[in-house]
Amino acid sequence: MPSLRELQQSIGRSMVAGIEVGASSCIVGAGLAPQERLGIYRNTFISTVARALRLTFPAVHRLVGADFFDGAAQIFTLERPPKGADLNAYGEEFASFLERFEAAATLAYLPDVARLEWAVNRALHAQEAPSLDVTELADLGPADQARICFAAHPSISTIRSAFPVDAIWKAVLEQDDQAMGAVNLSSGPVHLLVERLGEHVDVSRLDVAAWNLSLTLFGGSPLGLALERHADADAPSLLAAHLSAGRFISYSRSDAKAVS
Amino acid sequence: MVGGAVPAGAGIGLRFQHHQEVLATRPAIPWLEVHTENYLVGGASARTLELLRRDYPISLHGVGLGLGNAEGIDMAHLGRIRDVVRRIKPGLVSEHVSWSSVGGAYLADLFPLPMTEEALDIVCRHVALTQDFLERQILIENPSTYLRFEHSTIAEWDFIAAVATRTGCGILCDVNNIFVSASNHGWDASDYLANLPVAAVAEIHLAGHAVRELQQGAVLLIDDHGSRVAPDVWALYEEALNRFGEVPTLVEWDSNVPSLDVLIGEAQQASRYMENTRDAVPA
Repeated sequence: MPSLRELQQSIGRSMVAGIEVGASSCIVGAGLAPQERLGIYRNTFISTVARALRLTFPAVHRLVGADFFDGAAQIFTLERPPKGADLNAYGEEFASFLERFEAAATLAYLPDVARLEWAVNRALHAQEAPSLDVTELADLGPADQARICFAAHPSISTIRSAFPVDAIWKAVLEQDDQAMGAVNLSSGPVHLLVERLGEHVDVSRLDVAAWNLSLTLFGGSPLGLALERHADADAPSLLAAHLSAGRFISYSRSDAKAVS
Repeated sequence: MVGGAVPAGAGIGLRFQHHQEVLATRPAIPWLEVHTENYLVGGASARTLELLRRDYPISLHGVGLGLGNAEGIDMAHLGRIRDVVRRIKPGLVSEHVSWSSVGGAYLADLFPLPMTEEALDIVCRHVALTQDFLERQILIENPSTYLRFEHSTIAEWDFIAAVATRTGCGILCDVNNIFVSASNHGWDASDYLANLPVAAVAEIHLAGHAVRELQQGAVLLIDDHGSRVAPDVWALYEEALNRFGEVPTLVEWDSNVPSLDVLIGEAQQASRYMENTRDAVPA
């Protein structure tokens, strides 16, 4: 008789690997074989996770169709099963999985659409966080200002893509064939900022210099260092925009010499 | 009413499809139950629940804690549940007598436990831990199952009753689950009800199930929450009311989710059963 832990490990392997690993001998088969009984649970496992992925990646789902999506979702689920019961938090690695997934190789922009949808999901579900009060910064002298490290709002992501994925994403979700037809895949890279504004998620394009500076600031680098590194950006107006949009929730002061 | 106790009336399981309609029309439903896992994070759903809790008593029904996980329960997940409990101040909090995670993987279903002393000890430990951590009583729900184990030594109803006795938790008696499991395993559903401790039963669930044909005329019942409550389950509900008295009753509908009025109609049907029981029992 297996311990509970051994039994669960055995059933767990049969769910993830789909192989018979001994749990069957403990299961009453009357009327229906143990493997078929386990199969009912396996189907629920796979279909429940696929449904959660469909909710998080609706544009990917539309782009590849239901059958292809469910097939990809199953392979992904069995390779990287969810770690916890909050399925809203599952799927961060789906984009990189799609990048490696040969059957999807003809849709070169698909992984980046998935990246954008993950960022949108993150923004949708981010906890509320009050924005930084700008007046807190007013009394800081220039040396202290240079040492400011901002903490970005948890809803924010930055995405760079070689394709106009924001236009693709929007056209697919709105089922706008005309907009989809107008997408030019070689129009050059896009630099996106994804965030929740009020009740809605907003996806906006930044110019490359503003995006690079934003990335550095959201990553928590000291302000002085970020400004020096991205001198090409229009820093004053970008900072003003970030602060007024509430994209920072707090700041700390770096002890390191910010600018040498 | 804020943080109200869940009354002995018939509520509905609130699903995303009905959020806007319930917010806009505030139908006359005595209480609402939601799946805890859908409200662990911020965003529109969390805000919807914040608004609705002002007008409806709320029950938080978890599907993912895994009280029977041999490797232990996920304390980070329990911490997030505690955050929701503190925010929503629910009248009831419930979880299932099942397991769902092993080897760091969440298997997204309610897996059956062998009915053994070892499993009983583990479930009791986790129920006690959860109640201590949440600083409140929880209810445990009897599962619907499609398999059982050769080495089980305890009847499922005795197992559930023992957890309630040892930990002081309440019982969420899912009448449809009893019907489904009794049919699948050849148990007597009335016996099952008769062996649950009356004082511990604090909530009843009702739902629809599907019938899968097997070979040689046998059937397997699948608890898919995808249709109206079956006539046999209404009959069993009547037995449950006669035994447990009027307890908060909830209609669940999770697949092929119908329009809100159909769901409320099912809850009203449950209310009529409650009224009939009240009339039949001398004061």
